[in-house]
Amino acid sequence: MLEARDISVTLGRKQVLHGAGLSAQPGAMTVIVGPNGSGKTTLLRAITGDLACRGTVTLNRQDMRALPPHALAERRAVLPQASVLAFPFTVHEVVRLGLTGRIALRPDAAQLPGRALERVGLEGYGARFFQELSGGEQARAQLARVLLQVWEPVQDGIPRWLFLDEPVAALDIGHQLQVMHLARRFARAGGGVVAVMHDLNLTAMFADRVVLMLDGRVLAQGAVREVLSDQNLSRAYGCRLRVSSPPAQGATYILPQAAEMA
Amino acid sequence: MVALPWGRSAGHGATGDRSDRARVTILALVVFVMLAAIASLGTGAAGVSLGDVLAKWISGEELSVRERVVLFDIRLPRLLTGMLVGASLAVSGAVMQGLFRNPLADPGIVGVGAGAGLAAVLAIVLGAFLPPAILAVAGMHLVPFAAFFGGWVTTLILYRVSTRAGRTSVATMLLAGIALGALSGALTGILVYIADDQQLRDLTFWGLGSLAGASWAKLAAAAPIMVLALLAAPMLARALNGLALGEGAAAHLGVAVQRMKNLAILTVAAATGAAVAVSGGIGFIGIVVPHLLRLVMGPDHRFLLPAAALLGAGLLLLADIISRLIIAPAELPIGIVTAVLGGPVFLWILLRRRGIVDM
Repeated sequence: MLEARDISVTLGRKQVLHGAGLSAQPGAMTVIVGPNGSGKTTLLRAITGDLACRGTVTLNRQDMRALPPHALAERRAVLPQASVLAFPFTVHEVVRLGLTGRIALRPDAAQLPGRALERVGLEGYGARFFQELSGGEQARAQLARVLLQVWEPVQDGIPRWLFLDEPVAALDIGHQLQVMHLARRFARAGGGVVAVMHDLNLTAMFADRVVLMLDGRVLAQGAVREVLSDQNLSRAYGCRLRVSSPPAQGATYILPQAAEMA
Repeated sequence: MVALPWGRSAGHGATGDRSDRARVTILALVVFVMLAAIASLGTGAAGVSLGDVLAKWISGEELSVRERVVLFDIRLPRLLTGMLVGASLAVSGAVMQGLFRNPLADPGIVGVGAGAGLAAVLAIVLGAFLPPAILAVAGMHLVPFAAFFGGWVTTLILYRVSTRAGRTSVATMLLAGIALGALSGALTGILVYIADDQQLRDLTFWGLGSLAGASWAKLAAAAPIMVLALLAAPMLARALNGLALGEGAAAHLGVAVQRMKNLAILTVAAATGAAVAVSGGIGFIGIVVPHLLRLVMGPDHRFLLPAAALLGAGLLLLADIISRLIIAPAELPIGIVTAVLGGPVFLWILLRRRGIVDM
């Protein structure tokens, strides 16, 4: 179980997180949502150790920041929002960078980069140069690298974690669904997923648990139906929003039109 | 975008895995270095031919004193010095480019060589004022260690100045390099005024870059530093690969980023400093060699670093042979040869990369 408590972050002179916290379970997908500037990405970056912060982050009651980098790399992988590659690596070579730690010792390690590319729908792209891919393709290639790093969602009985910062921001709707299914599959197989998302509908479809943020604080967290309420969303996003359910399936969706009509 | 010499995927199979191609390249480079070494041993003003020596050796005949001196006291230390210096310059270039995440970073271009040279000159000129006891202990090691220290300080300053939040600004790096280079040059100029005749002769040699002064004694002083740096470099390979994705991503892949950066800076300083200490300023090896290799086998540092060591060693031997032949029986400083050959290649790299070097 992942627990972040009282996380405060100051960037420059501005305090951007005021004692935010979240808890996430392995086997479930936890999604952080909130308006622009609410501190979603900052919270994720504080948890992954990219940003210095006050507060505690524990994984199974173990201080996450006390673990050395190589041990941490065995436990979790992190997908950044976008990255600039310094040298002309092929896609295969970028994905292969995820072969770290014990997985590199597997007998089938040489085949794994190709299989990771298949999972994100980039089979046959291995020989292309990463820098020549479109933004969405680059995002998926990076996801393949990250998936490879934690290829088995549970290793020696210990669940591993995926931290995804806006994994679908650059993708078309088909690939958005594909990536969300991948993340869900990772969680269903026993791993933990924590993702920052913009899209409330995809969040409603795929999240097991939602953390709603506003102004550097957590406004609400819990099950989708509890957190994504008319009241919470309207307050967080500063506009009238109305949550609806298609009667056939009972799933939750959010349409700005619905609020206007009411 | 990088314009690539071959098409999108042609040339490295359908998988994009270039490790086999890298292994073949490294094997070919081993052969190249051996051939260059044999050619280097057989070349020189003294007219001692390797064939004669070999024939004598096979027939069990004694070598003449002249042959023995030329081969074992002049050409062999020069050969080993050339190989170590070439390997050190190429590897420090590759490590620095990986560290700065920029293919234009090179110890020679950004002033690290100048800083190491200044420290070496300081050691030569001011070393005379040291207490004899210290001088006796430091001995031959004083100059290489001073150069190493100078290179280390320069690299640290350069990194501090040009890197903010893990991103290196090329413009800042190059400009800071110009400033550091000018500063080192000016200070070296001042030292020239207080140097005596013998020291002046030693100093002139720094500016040009030459292997002519190679001797067993100098080699013994600088070789351990270069060998250590060359052995340390491959340990950085995985970390430098991770760093290509950015510092954050490298850390998430399990790289101890800060420790790795310190080790990389030390390696660059040691390799550049010791190379400068024995051979003065030899330019362009550190930028041209890694660049050519990246074109052929890709940027994976696990292969790039050993290949750079080999190609650097071989190319410097070739340049040394040219420097000995072109105006024989006199010889050209090797720094001139590498500048004449490397300068245009460097310009070609800049032309091809125009537009993607983000200033």
